[in-house]
Amino acid sequence: MRTKTGSRVLRAALMAGASLCIAGSAYAAEPLVKACAKDGQFVIGFSQANNAEPYRQHVNDELTAAAKEVPGFTLQIADGAGNVNTQTSQVDNFITQKVDILLISPFEAAPLTPAVKRAMDAGIPVIELDRKTVGDPGKDYTAFIGGDNFKIAQEAGKYTASKLLPDGGEAAVLEGLPSSTPAVERLNGFKEGVKGNSKIQIVAEQAADWVPDKAQTAFAAMLQAHPDIKVLYASNDMMAAGALLAAKGAGKDVKIIGTDGLPGPAGGIEAVAKGDWAATFTYPTGAKEAIDMSKKILLDCATSVDTTVTVDTTAITAENAKQLMGK
Amino acid sequence: MSDQKISVATSLAPAAPQKHRVDPLAIIVRFQSLIGLVLVAIGGVIFSPRRHGEILFLNPDNIANIVRAVSETGIIAIGMTFVIITAGIDLSVGAVLGLSSVVTASMMISGGFGLIPTILAVLAMGIVFGVVQGTISTRFRLEPFIVTLAGLQAARGLALIVSGNQYINISYGDGPGLAPPVFAVLGERLFDNTVPVATIVFIIFAAIATIVLNTTRFGRYVYAVGGNERAARISGVPVSMVKISVYAITGFASAIAGIVHAGQFNFGSANDGMGYELTAIAAVVIGGTSLFGGAGSMVGTVAGTIMLGALANILQLNNITPATQLLATAAIIVLAAVLQSLVRRREGLGR
Repeated sequence: MRTKTGSRVLRAALMAGASLCIAGSAYAAEPLVKACAKDGQFVIGFSQANNAEPYRQHVNDELTAAAKEVPGFTLQIADGAGNVNTQTSQVDNFITQKVDILLISPFEAAPLTPAVKRAMDAGIPVIELDRKTVGDPGKDYTAFIGGDNFKIAQEAGKYTASKLLPDGGEAAVLEGLPSSTPAVERLNGFKEGVKGNSKIQIVAEQAADWVPDKAQTAFAAMLQAHPDIKVLYASNDMMAAGALLAAKGAGKDVKIIGTDGLPGPAGGIEAVAKGDWAATFTYPTGAKEAIDMSKKILLDCATSVDTTVTVDTTAITAENAKQLMGK
Repeated sequence: MSDQKISVATSLAPAAPQKHRVDPLAIIVRFQSLIGLVLVAIGGVIFSPRRHGEILFLNPDNIANIVRAVSETGIIAIGMTFVIITAGIDLSVGAVLGLSSVVTASMMISGGFGLIPTILAVLAMGIVFGVVQGTISTRFRLEPFIVTLAGLQAARGLALIVSGNQYINISYGDGPGLAPPVFAVLGERLFDNTVPVATIVFIIFAAIATIVLNTTRFGRYVYAVGGNERAARISGVPVSMVKISVYAITGFASAIAGIVHAGQFNFGSANDGMGYELTAIAAVVIGGTSLFGGAGSMVGTVAGTIMLGALANILQLNNITPATQLLATAAIIVLAAVLQSLVRRREGLGR
């Protein structure tokens, strides 16, 4: 009897202790960054894959603008120059500097994964922009913000199948740098998208390495071989611009689709507004979302954030291009 | 740490080739990259950001980062030193690195080969690639510039074919389609997490190359061919053999760098190593090796390689733009070349 009471007391004590522990841990959930403070000064390191691509410059511009609006934020941008070795060492430099948050657009996924792990191990939250490393958001890195290359290209494919070539015909694709992740995803996405219309044939696909001069040469050759090409899907705006020159040179009226929807006089939005291209599909930078998330972590002492933020594409067509031009 | 290794290598090197007289400028040029490395290191310490009084530039992690980042281009630059001493050039190295990383990845992942056969095959492929380039260049008396430019295109093309236009991720484990986990050691650090394995490969390769260049008959032949090809031929040096061999060495070095690349980054892509040929040539020239051939040192190349890495590091630690980094590198290359030209003129060898 005595022992029974004793065990009951013990059990009650244990349970009380356990529930206290649970309550305690829930109460004291640690902020992602301990040094967070409303009026603190913070350094955000951004490891960019390759400044030479206009889209990435556009990301840098948007990030810089968004970071400027937060008084305590200093943004440092390092250019990986399209080289995983350089980018890895730059991430390591940011870790040495102990930046407060690391933003990264890895040039390639697997090669940058160990560097991201080192940052996480050093207690630096990592927000991945536009491209992911290997692993799961929330565990191997803090969060991913970006668009979905495959889906965006698939949208372009569906648009081709339903709006541009409802009665079928010949289409062609200009691919980015072969064997780079976004090039492969956009190529596959577009092909998947046009499958909905069996009367569309993709008669040519060539790599133009994201650049306009190669795109012009490649598309000119395509038009020689296949004079009946009605639609060209270019995996970025730059190549679409090159393809337009080739189409004009050949005196052909080809419906051109770009990708990225870059602003400015050389960008896709203006080209669609002028009627030079049929459409372009924006690839959202996620810059604003990334700075917002940084604010939550560093200023509001967030204990958790959304681990995946997918920013949707906007189809820019003749209907909305003029409106969006000023933005 | 790296400085120590260099001084070890220096002691292995015999005295400088005999000159007519001791010219202080010549001595400066001979050790220009070491001097440059010391200057960059001093600058690094002075301008380094500090945290709680700690100089970030000298943080062991930071030093490890510098020497890791330069190990691939360093391995290539060592091979390139042989070629440039013979007054040649090899533009195919970065592309052969890409080809090697793709072949390494695809042999292990889709081919099901083991680690040792893969590494041996890739090294053999690099050597063969170099031998073919060297043979074409000597047999048809073509400029190595043009032959290796073609080699660059060929290697990138082959890499795209082998990879089927895809990037190849290397996953580890036992069984088919997986690479043995030991291969991932190339991306790690040894000795209490301080020394990157990639750097160890670089230093070992540098030490062997230094011995070969400075103490063997082959090494003397390399200098002889670059110094005066006709004189070398008359005195019985197998000039063609030597020339073919140095391209085999760059091919071999690029293959090693490609394997290191694949192991470090768990990845093979036809785009790997783009532009490495130019970084390697810059490191060799800064290291005091003359593009006219006949003169140069391995120690200089190693110091030049590390100097470029340290410079990039200190500029980024201070958040200085990549543009400035390129301008600084440009200035150093010009300075190194001008110093060499001054020495040649003083010795009456102006060409």
